[in-house]
Amino acid sequence: MGRKFDIHYLLDFLPKLLSYLHITLFIVAASILLGLVVGFIIALPRLYKIPVLQRASQVYVSFFRGTPILIQLFLIYYGLPELLKLVHIDVSRANVLVFVILAYALHSGAFISEAIRAAVNGVDRGQVEAAYAIGMSGYQAFTRIVLPQALAISIPILANLVIGNLKDTSLAFTLGAMEMTGKSQTLASATQHFIETYIALSLIYFVISTILERTFHYLERRLLRHEKQVAEPAVRYGKRRLWKRTLITRLEKGG
Amino acid sequence: MIELKQISKSFGKNQVLQSIDLTVEKGEVVVILGPSGSGKTTLLRCINYLEKPDNGQIRIGDFKLDFKTAGKKDIHNLRQRSAMVFQHYNLFKHKTALENVMEGLLIVQKLPKDEARRRSTQMLEKVGLAAKLDAYPSELSGGQQQRVGIARALALNPEVILFDEPTSALDPELVGEVLDVIRKIAGEGITMIVVTHEMGFARDVANHVVFMDGGVIVEEGKPSELFGKPKEERTKQFLKRIAPEPSYSI
Ligand SMILES: Nc1ncnc2c1ncn2[C@@H]1O[C@H](COP(=O)(O)OP(=O)(O)OP(=O)(O)O)[C@@H](O)[C@H]1O
Ligand SMILES: [Mg+2]
Repeated sequence: MGRKFDIHYLLDFLPKLLSYLHITLFIVAASILLGLVVGFIIALPRLYKIPVLQRASQVYVSFFRGTPILIQLFLIYYGLPELLKLVHIDVSRANVLVFVILAYALHSGAFISEAIRAAVNGVDRGQVEAAYAIGMSGYQAFTRIVLPQALAISIPILANLVIGNLKDTSLAFTLGAMEMTGKSQTLASATQHFIETYIALSLIYFVISTILERTFHYLERRLLRHEKQVAEPAVRYGKRRLWKRTLITRLEKGG
Repeated sequence: MIELKQISKSFGKNQVLQSIDLTVEKGEVVVILGPSGSGKTTLLRCINYLEKPDNGQIRIGDFKLDFKTAGKKDIHNLRQRSAMVFQHYNLFKHKTALENVMEGLLIVQKLPKDEARRRSTQMLEKVGLAAKLDAYPSELSGGQQQRVGIARALALNPEVILFDEPTSALDPELVGEVLDVIRKIAGEGITMIVVTHEMGFARDVANHVVFMDGGVIVEEGKPSELFGKPKEERTKQFLKRIAPEPSYSI
């Protein structure tokens, strides 16, 4: 299958694919931002143990964790217009990217809500009590004391989610979205140089993932600057301890 | 003056406080003693509304509150009149010593920033930490962290400071520095309620000692009375257990 390997094609494809990178990155950024909002909304009922809503969030999370993202994409792309038709809203002309972003936002939202929950539960209860004791309101305690610490704890998980999301967006081509992977499909079939296309494509994904990873690592170190971190091994140790703490709190809460 | 009346608290079926009455005069240092599980921590937490009593009233100075009917505003008011020093310090981990002390002044009391900084620096100097203003809690020893905790409480200028076993999480060699600080501020006439197992400290510093067991106040009085000639059998046994008469001399 395909034509003989020719490095020139690889060099030729790289810039062509790169010219679609911004669409891929736009999908990632938009769906993660929306996903953060969704994640918060889904996490709150479980953090505050609100009776019925708590159950609903659980179901939501289970669904998005328990079904393949490809199916979720299809369900939203084909299902949502049908649903909206019932209330007489016509979305048949909407850009496919809208569905793609929505699907990835709902999907990441489920995972982000779990990350938020674990991180907030991972913050020592004594921190909130100290905040109350000096007279802070619940809102002040949450935003000034819990959230900054939870954010630091959740950065590694968030990093995984964003990088995972970047890779997952490659599936959007199945709906005909013209992002990087979509473009690679057309390039490959037009030229019959499959290997070159996919090497070029994977190079780009790899470089972007690495940049993201480094950025998050830097962010984490900044946010955790209050933890002892004289040398690199100390950071490792600190991280493990945080994780252990998170895990223990989760086990204690039976979650 | 602080007055607690008929404070009761249950956790499920476990009644932890049974109608506690306690009066603390202004400037007094009250030490609460008692075996583990007797409700000492719960009582302190009720005063600061970290725990909601099922019943009872509290009066701090001219502020009165009935726990049964307390609303958000009352709780906020109550908490502004008291401060808590925790067994495990509970310093805000992502804030420096100075920021820990400033936080309440800025956010709750809404002082201007330089005023809050000035006051906080002063408090940290008072507890002997002038050199550690910019250190994070993880960079401080337990004793130093607890002294920041005390500075944080002091800075709020509360009518009473509640101490829950402030030295029991510390390595023995660090206990002294914290007790010295508490002793010093006791000398300045700040009202304090201290739960501790440090008998020497209780003898020296307390004006009033309260012995609790099983959720009730069994006996209370001057340190000389309570330590010297306790009336109740339970008090005698507890004191014997916790500080047995030395049978040898060093
Ligand atoms: N949040 C809670 N939920 C359920 N039970 C609790 C809770 N907090 C305390 N208790 C129970 O209340 C009782 C009194 O606890 P408390 O911590 O007030 O005792 P204490 O006198 O401070 O003991 P210690 O000297 O060990 O600190 C104990 O039986 C404890 O198990
Ligand atoms: Mg206790």
